[in-house]
Amino acid sequence: MALLRVIFDIAVVVIVLCLIGSVTLIGPVRLRELQVELRDRAREAAPAVGILLCVLILNALVRDATQELSWLIGWNITPLIRDIEGGFVIFIQSFATPFLTAYFSYIYVFGYVFLLVFPFIAYAALSDQDHLKSLLIAYTLNYGLGLICYIIFIAYGPRNSFDSGEVESLLYTVYPQFQFLTSTVNVNTNVFPSLHTSLSVTAALLAFHSRREYPIWFWLSIILATSVVISTMYLGIHWFLDVIAGTILAVVSVELGRRYVKYGSFRDSSSESQLSWPWS
Amino acid sequence: MTDRPHPSTISRRTLLASGVALGMTATAGCVREARNIAGRDRREQLTLEIKTPPSDNDPFALRIANHVAEHLEAIGIHAQIMPLEIEELYRQVLINHNFDLYVSQFSHPPLADPDVLFPLTHSSFDSEPGWQNPFGYTDLNCDDLLVSQRTTSGADRLETVHELQQYLSRTQPFVPIAFPDTLTAVRNTRFTGWRQTAPTDPMSLLVLSPTDEHDGDSQVRLVITDARITVNQNPIAAEFRQHGLVSGLLYDSLVRYDRSDQIPWLAESITWNEDDEQTSATVTLRENLTWHDDTDLTAADVAFTYEFYADTSLGRTENPLPTARYRGRSSLVTDVHVTGQRTVLIEFSDAVQEVAETALTLPILPEHIWSEKTGGATIGGIEIDTETTEALVWNNPEPVGSGPFEFVSASDGVELIIARNPDHFLQNVSESDPTIPDRFVSAPQYEELSIEPIASDNSALEMIATDDADATLSNVSPDLVPRIGRESDVRLITSRSRSFYHLGFNTRVAPLGNPHFRRAVARVIDKAGLVEDAFSNYAVPIASILADTEWLDPALSWEGEDPTLPFFATDEGELDVDAAREMLRAEGFQYNDEGELTIVGR
Repeated sequence: MALLRVIFDIAVVVIVLCLIGSVTLIGPVRLRELQVELRDRAREAAPAVGILLCVLILNALVRDATQELSWLIGWNITPLIRDIEGGFVIFIQSFATPFLTAYFSYIYVFGYVFLLVFPFIAYAALSDQDHLKSLLIAYTLNYGLGLICYIIFIAYGPRNSFDSGEVESLLYTVYPQFQFLTSTVNVNTNVFPSLHTSLSVTAALLAFHSRREYPIWFWLSIILATSVVISTMYLGIHWFLDVIAGTILAVVSVELGRRYVKYGSFRDSSSESQLSWPWS
Repeated sequence: MTDRPHPSTISRRTLLASGVALGMTATAGCVREARNIAGRDRREQLTLEIKTPPSDNDPFALRIANHVAEHLEAIGIHAQIMPLEIEELYRQVLINHNFDLYVSQFSHPPLADPDVLFPLTHSSFDSEPGWQNPFGYTDLNCDDLLVSQRTTSGADRLETVHELQQYLSRTQPFVPIAFPDTLTAVRNTRFTGWRQTAPTDPMSLLVLSPTDEHDGDSQVRLVITDARITVNQNPIAAEFRQHGLVSGLLYDSLVRYDRSDQIPWLAESITWNEDDEQTSATVTLRENLTWHDDTDLTAADVAFTYEFYADTSLGRTENPLPTARYRGRSSLVTDVHVTGQRTVLIEFSDAVQEVAETALTLPILPEHIWSEKTGGATIGGIEIDTETTEALVWNNPEPVGSGPFEFVSASDGVELIIARNPDHFLQNVSESDPTIPDRFVSAPQYEELSIEPIASDNSALEMIATDDADATLSNVSPDLVPRIGRESDVRLITSRSRSFYHLGFNTRVAPLGNPHFRRAVARVIDKAGLVEDAFSNYAVPIASILADTEWLDPALSWEGEDPTLPFFATDEGELDVDAAREMLRAEGFQYNDEGELTIVGR
């Protein structure tokens, strides 16, 4: 079946990229250490992983129900977004070439998944587990807050608002098989904010905070995240405002995630907080 | 006070503030003047919202909406595109009448009788939900013509229908834009017999047969870009039905049309009595008809159905609550008398036989199921709305009909499966039966039919190319035609659809109630240009929805441009902005200094 083929392709590509990344970016020393301490580290990260998985599963289970709820109580902001930003996406698509379309399509699907998955391995390989915890919490917040936004806001992307002569649905026209995947994991009215943007920026922001440990990954993640962000607009899937909202969501999620790891609370004041990692 | 700024350039709030200041120092006369100025509502730019399905559901409607929006902007009207999934679009437009403008395809009944205009434009349907006068168009002259065409025949009726078309063209309650070609991609390898016209309508699907090499294959797999059919199978719910394909396979009517053949279906014979002012018909049903749950289908079900269409509460409520679909045709029937186990006498309102006949094409519903659904609609047991019956909002999750297919399973957004009904009369009818054409004897010749919703026409074509589906139910965009040509075993079938694209006006909203305004909007739409660009010529522009039939008024036939409301075009074929603005100005509309069309704040 078409969907399984796409998933298989992505799995193969991302596993290969992660293997290459592990060898070149993480290095044998850390990997060996990870191998030894795998069980302990897994146990330490387990609660946060559990929460992330719960949110992901919940997200998948309630997607249809939230969609119905959204049509009932949500605010359809498609015309408003278009009024505010006008033809920005048309402008971006005016640079389209077959090469760029191929590049951004593969970035949107493969590059994005790699950018999100690789940090798990990279941060698990560090003896200090704070980055991994921040990552898990930040991803969880992205999905959780994103889901709330999707209930409040109904918005179609540019490809469903403009004439297809002005904004082309480039990804699905050139690579229709990818739509089997995206339509399975998302709904076409859930574009504000862009979760592609927010999760990519989240990965890049955490790469910034871990730049001492992984300097090359920092630069690589900047390039990947920037490409993913541009691809969402280039492919006609997201508005510029979705990207801005996604970036804000990422900054908030990373900030809160790091605070929680540092102080055991989403509040800033470390001294007042009596909360600590329930599992540490 | 002599050098105060021009009123149109300062805000009402400033004026109010200055009014207060003046009140302290100046005379009552000054305050009076301030009130006189500030009390007037300021004129503001006219903003119109265009509701339309998103590109994923209907690429053409969105392109038309964008064309209209662009040209409205050019003549100083702010136009916003509001994409809405079809279910929501229909709910907002057809049920709640909450819209300014909308662009959509009309769900056309499978017949070409001009009486289709009756429910669409008669004022008595103004407040009814469904494809009944969503425009809120109320016009005495039009009403008279609509009634008159129902009661005359021959040349008189033709003349009335011509007059009616001209009148609608003049007043434009909606702008008919084009008849699209339905572009269907089909796969040849597993099933043959795909028809050249409407390959995926119910009657065409009945005549498919498996190819020799795939004789074991018994499932026709269809894909659609619209998930509504997997969610709701209620044949009378306007917001969930498009062309009624599945309803047409699950439910039978007394008479069916296939191409131009009128086929007695549940009815074995029909005798018409057209005596003094009362048209009536005696209908005899076939023997041994049953519902899918093995209950007998009797004359009582037929009588119930027509009563139910007219009032789904069956007299429980003060006002009748009719169905949201089939209203034009059901309004023709006044009474049905059960005269025997298999015979009914149907009495019609003032209508000649050729019009009355169309009422026999309505799906017959089982009384033992639907008579339970006449109560008020409830959420969690609490009655929410006394003006809505359960029948109108029921999902009908396991439909019981009497059609050639019976329901198997449905899962929201994933799949709908229906299977051959082994007890259907087509399975037992003999080839010598004169009433049933040979092609339908023992049809369908396969076991199952599945419908899977997918994200877009791109994905649909991909499924067919990879042998995961046999045909697309929804339109394929012309952009994909070259790709269909490249795929082996995939064939493109184009057939003219009478489900016309149109721009609907909500005439209940100012200034859309003004026919001069509607005419001006009609004239900024380049129908021929749209057919060329948006439809890549897979459509024909129209000035009347009866184009393509023998009923078309010759004065409204398309001759290179719209015969009555031609596009305001410059020599280069672009929109002639000045001419359009001039027409609006001449009709009393005002523009401000920025060139915006202004109205007093709504």
